[in-house]
Amino acid sequence: MRRYLEVALGIFTSIGGFLEVGAIATAAQAGAGFGFRLGWVLVLGTVCVIFLVEMSGRLSAVSKHTLQDAMRERFGAGFFLVTTIPGLIVDWLVLAAEIGGVALALQLVTGIGYQWWAFPVAIGSWLFLWKGNLRLVEDGVALLGLVALAFVVAAVRLHPPVHAVVAGLLPSLPPAEGTTYWFLAVSILGALISPYLFFFYSSGAIEGQWDENHIGSNRFTAIVGMSFGAVLAFGVMLAAAMVFHPRGIQVERYEQVALMLVEPLGRPGLYLFAAALAVTCFGATLEVALGRAYVFAQGFGWNYTLNSLPTNSARFSLVYTVMIGSAAVLIALGVDPLALTVFSMALTAVTLPLVTLPFIVLMNDPAYVGEYRNGWIGNAAVVGISLLASLIALVAIPLQLMGG
Amino acid sequence: MNLTRDILDQQVVDRAGQRLGKVDGVILELRDGEPPRIAAIEVGPVTLARRIHPRLAAWVEWWLRRFGPRSDGTLRIPWSKVRAIGVDIRVDLVAEGTAARAWEEWLRDHVVRRIPGTPQ
Repeated sequence: MRRYLEVALGIFTSIGGFLEVGAIATAAQAGAGFGFRLGWVLVLGTVCVIFLVEMSGRLSAVSKHTLQDAMRERFGAGFFLVTTIPGLIVDWLVLAAEIGGVALALQLVTGIGYQWWAFPVAIGSWLFLWKGNLRLVEDGVALLGLVALAFVVAAVRLHPPVHAVVAGLLPSLPPAEGTTYWFLAVSILGALISPYLFFFYSSGAIEGQWDENHIGSNRFTAIVGMSFGAVLAFGVMLAAAMVFHPRGIQVERYEQVALMLVEPLGRPGLYLFAAALAVTCFGATLEVALGRAYVFAQGFGWNYTLNSLPTNSARFSLVYTVMIGSAAVLIALGVDPLALTVFSMALTAVTLPLVTLPFIVLMNDPAYVGEYRNGWIGNAAVVGISLLASLIALVAIPLQLMGG
Repeated sequence: MNLTRDILDQQVVDRAGQRLGKVDGVILELRDGEPPRIAAIEVGPVTLARRIHPRLAAWVEWWLRRFGPRSDGTLRIPWSKVRAIGVDIRVDLVAEGTAARAWEEWLRDHVVRRIPGTPQ
């Protein structure tokens, strides 16, 4: 019975990590701009993230190392210091985007501008980490995150044409606006395949003292949890494709995104959208901030753990404190959260190989995973998809910035 | 035993399991007519920076001496104190009060404990 409970909790956990501001914003923009045509990117991203999450759990269960511990050990000090800097910048921008997501949800409900919500949101999420523990964070966010099912309900109610949806699952070349198409494609990949998720997940596995017996439930959790998250993201894309695409509406503000739930669900749709956005972004805020604190603590060998007092891990606790506080400044200054989200997700895509390639090396090293090494399919999928995402992003970001 | 695989960059923990840092450097003792042997392991930001570039190490050292809570944070642990080498390297020390924890303790006493509502 405890096993089933564990699996269920794991699935809830991955909802929090999968569907957040990035997935909601990019899937909505993709649906509005290109109908069902970017569906295949969602599939590609989901496949890649399933492999990577499963690998994070397996690495920790077998080697008893977190991903960051293993990377520092295997690739040394230079690698650690050099890859930490781009990772820190990207995570900081993503964190600001997540805080912006919660702030915007509060704006939708209260009418008070999102800038004013930046610090209240930052303090609220910080208090959760400072006072709470990992279990509370995971369970609370996961259960409340089920409100995001509203996207799926909306998508079903809008009766999307099945043949067009299925056709979108196959890769297709873009129509006229090629740059935006590819830029959105890499933003979706960056939103789904988030490195902070792997650092967070493998640290959770160590804090939960996983061993080889967890490999089966870990695989199940990764597949079911991530697929469930993907269904939610797909719901967002379908709803956006049905509501915005036929009318030629480009999604440029979060207030517009809310409309895709208002049309099928009526007035409650607005509140459901705000609730889903707030809860999922709140969860992601905690995960990004914690993920970065884990990377620092494990990279330098500091004390870390969420399950004891901040006084026992001062540096760890102050890393997430400073991350949250400084990222909130960006939102308080009035940076547009939607633009920031899409941009930070595309940047995530650029930096993906910095994490995924060494990760794959670890997963093929018998010194770490012994007989539980990766198969060639997992290797090929992760290397192929992350390199593809990075290369397209390197080309698409400058073009998008120049073309506007 | 493989020095770079089993020792360098491994987590160091004290008697109670408190984390001291990573093995940022290994110090070998050269002996006439005999093979070199490990004299000590080193934990600390200056040692870590030296592996990137000596100039970075000099800059980190200057910065830490100027602004750091005490010393430059380098802890040299004699090899005789190493008790076990596994997932972590366990050493026969108490982390509290060592140079490797100077920042941790300073931040704990001067920042974390002063934040209102922090459980003590």
